[in-house]
Amino acid sequence: MSDPDRRKFLSIATCAIGGGVGLVSVAPVLRVILDPAGKETVTSPSAPLDLGPAARFVAGEPPRRVEVIAPVVKDAWTAARGVVLGAAWVTRIGPRPGDVDARSAICPHLGCGVGYDPAQNNYLCPCHDSRFALSGDVLSGPSERGLDALPVSVSADGRLLLTWERYKIGQATKERA
Amino acid sequence: MTSWVRERLGAAGAPAMLEGGPSFAYVFGSVLVFLLVFEGLTGIALGMFYSPSTTDAWGSVAYLQDQTTWGWLVRGLHHHGGGAIVVVAGLHLVQTAVAGAYKKPRELVWWLGVLLLVLVVVWAVTGYVLRWDQEGYWANRVELGIAAGGPFGAQIQQVALGGNDHGNLSLTRFYGLHALLFPVLVGALGYLHVKVARRHGTTPVRANRTAPRFPDQAVRDAIACAVALAMLMGVVVAREGVELAAPADPSQSYDARPLWYFRWLFELRELAGSAEKLVALAAPAIVGGFLVALPLLDRGPSRRVRARLPWLGGLAGLLALIGALTMMSFARDANDGELAKRQERARAVAARARELAKTHGVPSSGGQDVWLAAPGARGRKVFADNCRGCHEDVERRAPLITAGHGDRAWMRDFLSDPSGDKFWGRTQLVVSQPLAEAWKDSWLEFLAPELSPMPAMNELDPADMDAVVELMYAQTGATDVDAAKRTAGVKVFGAVCSDCHELAFEVVGQGGPNLVGLGSRAYYFDFVGNPKHPLYMGPDRSFMPRFDAELSIEDRAAVADYLVWLRTATPQDLAALDGP
Ligand code: FES
Repeated sequence: MSDPDRRKFLSIATCAIGGGVGLVSVAPVLRVILDPAGKETVTSPSAPLDLGPAARFVAGEPPRRVEVIAPVVKDAWTAARGVVLGAAWVTRIGPRPGDVDARSAICPHLGCGVGYDPAQNNYLCPCHDSRFALSGDVLSGPSERGLDALPVSVSADGRLLLTWERYKIGQATKERA
Repeated sequence: MTSWVRERLGAAGAPAMLEGGPSFAYVFGSVLVFLLVFEGLTGIALGMFYSPSTTDAWGSVAYLQDQTTWGWLVRGLHHHGGGAIVVVAGLHLVQTAVAGAYKKPRELVWWLGVLLLVLVVVWAVTGYVLRWDQEGYWANRVELGIAAGGPFGAQIQQVALGGNDHGNLSLTRFYGLHALLFPVLVGALGYLHVKVARRHGTTPVRANRTAPRFPDQAVRDAIACAVALAMLMGVVVAREGVELAAPADPSQSYDARPLWYFRWLFELRELAGSAEKLVALAAPAIVGGFLVALPLLDRGPSRRVRARLPWLGGLAGLLALIGALTMMSFARDANDGELAKRQERARAVAARARELAKTHGVPSSGGQDVWLAAPGARGRKVFADNCRGCHEDVERRAPLITAGHGDRAWMRDFLSDPSGDKFWGRTQLVVSQPLAEAWKDSWLEFLAPELSPMPAMNELDPADMDAVVELMYAQTGATDVDAAKRTAGVKVFGAVCSDCHELAFEVVGQGGPNLVGLGSRAYYFDFVGNPKHPLYMGPDRSFMPRFDAELSIEDRAAVADYLVWLRTATPQDLAALDGP
């Protein structure tokens, strides 16, 4: 082989070996970095959460804000106890224990925490002033849908159980996030 | 295309030349650069999972190791890659020494190299502790203990630890050192080392020959890198990555061993006996001092090996000594049967801890509490401390409480023979019975304890027995209750049991405990708090003390959880809870 030919071959060989080394080095690193994609790394409980005795929600009283607390949340490696997942506004809407309305306090507009405005007896989101009736319907402001109702039930011993769910924000239809 | 790229890169001019032609002897530097970059890459991946706090460090490493795809591989590559750097750096050093490349005017390159070697080794130490397992934790304690014996030791220790003891600040510090400071420091000094070395060029063996670095030397470098990577992969796969011991626990002793490239020092300390403190600091100082002094001692112009035999012999002697000490250290461990047993146990503990972390997660209180993550584990601990003596041990004097407590079979056994050894047999209810009966018809009657042990129910018709078992089983809150049987059980209860027992809330039974919710969490919680309450055993029938003041509410709830858990637990589950 002439010198230029040999050098050409060596150049190609160098690049090929170098490329191979690079690939083998980078592949496992990339694979691991991408591992969490598509995984449920934070699992919040799908089981209903105890909000205390249903009887403490009384007809005619202003809505009560309850913190939704999960007994255990698995967050990657941690099993955290008593984790606050969010808040819900709860009102009594009928005489039977289960006649209770619970609304997620997450604003359907862009996700701020919705508060209760005692002056007007309705809900007000502080971020962009969306206002919601106690029924949850939008009264004014940019939100495209009303406050999201959360599934509730009452246990045999009269405790209010709530299933915590998150919904997509910024759209007119209610859809699980 | 190639020329276009070369032009843009400003590399179109004359190619860099290598005096004396290419050689495999020159590959070590390039392999070191490759390995350092490789450590950087794998380190980035690890950094995306690692959490440097005493509560999370171990859990995050265990997560990466056991719950991600190839996490174990990347961790293993990063760990053993560090070892590979030490090996290749050693080869690089030997090659340079043999070639006499430390001689004038290249002293600075050599000294920078020695400094880099020291830095790389310390760098590894800062990484070893990060996993916060028993291994890393105790090794780090020892290493800092050694450092504390040197000049400014106390200050160095405090700065490294971030205060007076191992804690959150230590981990953030070591992480900062390992992932921020050392990469920058070694990168900068390494750049300088290479830059100055290039200026000087090689110390050509064959004169009058020159070749372009690319591709002549580059192809050799590439081959060497490929070989190094293949060997590293081989080691990591064969060793299944790198071990992860149980979470750091200051209360549990552990046979900590340093990283293998410190084993020679470890052995030297063993051999030195009472002089260990001195030796631990003096030995590295001697080795380092010799390396630094080499260019000053061997000053002759000749680079021929023959002419420098004493100096090269000295270096070879030192390396041989280090090698021998390393082997002695491993041999000492290999011949220690007791150690092997302890290590076997430590491995079992580690496997169990990781298993628990995988299935239940690590409690937010930290890795050392991983044992409490399994259902029933917290309560088991409280039970073991407070209840076990009476309820589980061989010399117990109260009903046996173990796996299966409160399930259907247990209930059936109990109803068939309530005074049996497993149940009331060893309690005063049964033991004092003959005495009570004797006194009853005598003038001592007024002293006779009111002890009426429960009669056996074995005359019950099997269907009725089934029904009442189901009714009692339903009290536990179990979800697999046969509703029809349970309803039938209410009738049987009314006919057979209700003379003494009650099944209505808060109603005191006539001589026997109220049974509403028997075996449920709430029942256990209340019962354990005050067993002598009229709703339960009443004031005279039981020796069991109250635990409402003795135990915190959390502990009492944990015991209640444990008792509920026992109902569905197998003896194996219980054994697993007690761990290796
Ligand atoms: S987030 Fe509530 S109004 Fe915009």
